[in-house]
Amino acid sequence: MSDAVTVRVGDERRRGHAVDCSDLSPAADRVVAAVRDETADRSDSAPLSVTCPTAGPVHDHVGLVSPSMTLRTRTALAAAARSRGVGTPVDDGLAAARAALADVQVPATPDLERARRRLAGTESAVDECRERVATLRGRIQARREDGRETTGLEGELTEATAELSEHETERAAAREALSMARREARASRDARERRRRLEDRLANLKRTARDHLVEAVRDRYAAAVTAAPGEARPADDGSPADADPFAVDDVTAALAVARVADVRAPVVLACDRFADPAAAAAWLDAPVIRVSPSA
Amino acid sequence: MLLVVTYSRAARGTLRNVCRTHEGSVVRRFGRAALLAETEFAAFQALRLREKHGEDVQIERTRPFNEFETVDAEVREAARAYENRERSSVPYSSFAAGTDFPDPERLRERDLSR
Repeated sequence: MSDAVTVRVGDERRRGHAVDCSDLSPAADRVVAAVRDETADRSDSAPLSVTCPTAGPVHDHVGLVSPSMTLRTRTALAAAARSRGVGTPVDDGLAAARAALADVQVPATPDLERARRRLAGTESAVDECRERVATLRGRIQARREDGRETTGLEGELTEATAELSEHETERAAAREALSMARREARASRDARERRRRLEDRLANLKRTARDHLVEAVRDRYAAAVTAAPGEARPADDGSPADADPFAVDDVTAALAVARVADVRAPVVLACDRFADPAAAAAWLDAPVIRVSPSA
Repeated sequence: MLLVVTYSRAARGTLRNVCRTHEGSVVRRFGRAALLAETEFAAFQALRLREKHGEDVQIERTRPFNEFETVDAEVREAARAYENRERSSVPYSSFAAGTDFPDPERLRERDLSR
């Protein structure tokens, strides 16, 4: 069979359309990772390897079916519809939005924080210096009134005045630098804003597409839920499974989605809904790797 | 007040959560922006947002606008007169020409008083 799967755990090698590894107890998530990763090490030195057809997007949703899974059922079902080649009226729009998004160039933001910090430092330096100059002036004034000598203080005042003017120059430069950085930042923010709008548009289109895709396979999905083996427990809200096919436990939903989908890469089953892996593969119409639920 | 503007979906989402959780600090919410109260707690929330989302978050400080101390009477009078003009199609520059109302160029050059 062309889509045969080879699983190797240590020295043990198993091949087929439905492979049972439950006795070898490899961890389910490691098996799934091995299925999805095309670049994984498949040499004999790797402890675990899977050789199989490439996993498509739907495999991300239902490639591992285990009691502890959580499934975004509608998103998974949309991926299943895609795997069957279902298109939507917004596909052109989706492609255009993705292309436009890829084209958005966001110019680097200038270092605004540094510019702010620099200015904040100069503001306080000017204030301190100004205070010192005022104090010195006051003291000189007082000494003069008392007819006392002021030479030493005047020297200090000259120094402080020069320092003040230095700080004022630095502050002017820091203000200019910050306002220039702010002007530059505008271009970056315009681009970010453009990107955010495109992302919003893309998200809206994706929602529309998903609704369309789900609608396209809803009946098949509902039938699969009804036909699913094991007890299809209603989800937490307690509604009966036949009323709303989306209100079922995640394992049932995942199996139904996988049955609707065209799955090429093996589905890793860590649940005991089927008599044996071959029955699971037949029901899902997909290759299957069975692992033990506890692994 | 603090004006917090977000520039990504993720940052907008966090801002929304912050506003929902700390209603007392929110003066007004706009879609992807919010005016926060003038408190250190609001500043803390704004800085937290920027820490998380970097330059996708812009923080500015605004102040209440009092037209009676920020602009001259002629600006207020010009605005009132222009909005009550008879011909709605007249642009302000023509409206002001030949009158005592300030011409737009002059208005552009003058910064607000502090």
